[in-house]
Amino acid sequence: MTIPDTIMTLDPRDEGSPGPAVVAPRPASLDGKVLGLFSNNKPYSEELLRMIADIIAERYRIKGIVEHNKGNHQWPAQPADLQALAKECDVALHATAE
Amino acid sequence: MTSSELSAQRHSFQSWDLAQDYYLENGLSDGLPVVPPTPEKVQAMLDYVGLAPGAIIGAEPIRQKQFTAEKLAINAVMAGCLPQYFPAVVATIEAACERPFNLHASSTSTNGVTIMALVSGPYAGEIGMNSGVELMGNGNRANATIGRAVNLVKTNFYGSVAQEMDNSTFGHSGKFTFCFAENTAVSPWPSLSEHQGHGPGSSSVTAVAANAPLQVSIYGDKRPETFLTQTAHAMLALGPTVSEVVVVISPELMAYVGDAGWTRQQVQEFLFQKTHRPLREWVAWKRLDRPGNDADLSQVRGPFADSGRITVVPGGGMAGAFIAIISSWGSSRTVSSPIKTRR
Repeated sequence: MTIPDTIMTLDPRDEGSPGPAVVAPRPASLDGKVLGLFSNNKPYSEELLRMIADIIAERYRIKGIVEHNKGNHQWPAQPADLQALAKECDVALHATAE
Repeated sequence: MTSSELSAQRHSFQSWDLAQDYYLENGLSDGLPVVPPTPEKVQAMLDYVGLAPGAIIGAEPIRQKQFTAEKLAINAVMAGCLPQYFPAVVATIEAACERPFNLHASSTSTNGVTIMALVSGPYAGEIGMNSGVELMGNGNRANATIGRAVNLVKTNFYGSVAQEMDNSTFGHSGKFTFCFAENTAVSPWPSLSEHQGHGPGSSSVTAVAANAPLQVSIYGDKRPETFLTQTAHAMLALGPTVSEVVVVISPELMAYVGDAGWTRQQVQEFLFQKTHRPLREWVAWKRLDRPGNDADLSQVRGPFADSGRITVVPGGGMAGAFIAIISSWGSSRTVSSPIKTRR
């Protein structure tokens, strides 16, 4: 086997663009906002979210709370769930717990 | 096609050793040495199946990854694949990119599964795959490198790197490679590929988000009811919430299955029914945490939602009464894809 002077090889990594990852604009205050709680269905995730919501409610005059559960932490959220959240609340909290 | 159409970043080295060092030192390996992927070797891989470098084999929406034929070929060369193995690599990635496989979550979970490739049909024999003695072990280039290529794609391209995206608590040796072929020579049944609906004489690969195999030693008489009951008992160890399982039956036992005239569906249904236990048993063993306050504990529950989630194939060496159980990660479905030698 002849060994060449210079060996050229190719890179196995992804070199494509990851696409836009847009962060939603943050509200200046939570006063008057509807808070969405989006559980991933892990044990006690709903309880944890409610505890956080209680703390937020002590600090801000939130308008209301809506709750959704995506049903399984191991699957991505369904578009319908995300659309419902976007329609019903101004800000949303997502959590894992155990 | 010529290798000038390849678009991946190029690296140049003064020696094979330096090339090897680059891939190992930059984490572009599974820890073992790799074959430096030269443009010529990568192009030969693509030419064999007739794929353009930029052809999209699959996409994964969470990490917004598009798996191109070129990147698959690079990783296949690194794994040591021959060009004739590349159709199986392509088909496995194609299957793993289907939504039911749940590639993103299964690649990040503490559960520590690998992508297993189960090849069925005449293609396996044509490329010299092992479906017999030590089919899940070492010693066969096709088995070893197809499985390795798939997992290099997962780490190098998809980014499922240990201690970064991959948080497997234990992991297992199948994360280096886990690929074998159905032993159709000892089977009284149509091939798994035909059973999956890919057509007469077809070949397919079944991608499984797989845990390590559990081997069951069979004792007693050799009626299918007897050794499948032993198998079902071992399957209970998987717990009540397994998504799927692959059951590999050794040729010695398959002969008894054939003599008794059992179909694949009968084996699936028998295992499905035998693994159903009353809720109170699952609760007593603490395998179910929250059955619900109003749950009727006399109701039965099994690990699987239906018998179709039990994939049964013959495989292994002629000597030995063993059955191997390979469970899948809880939120992944096995997905099959036809193997196309030309695209």
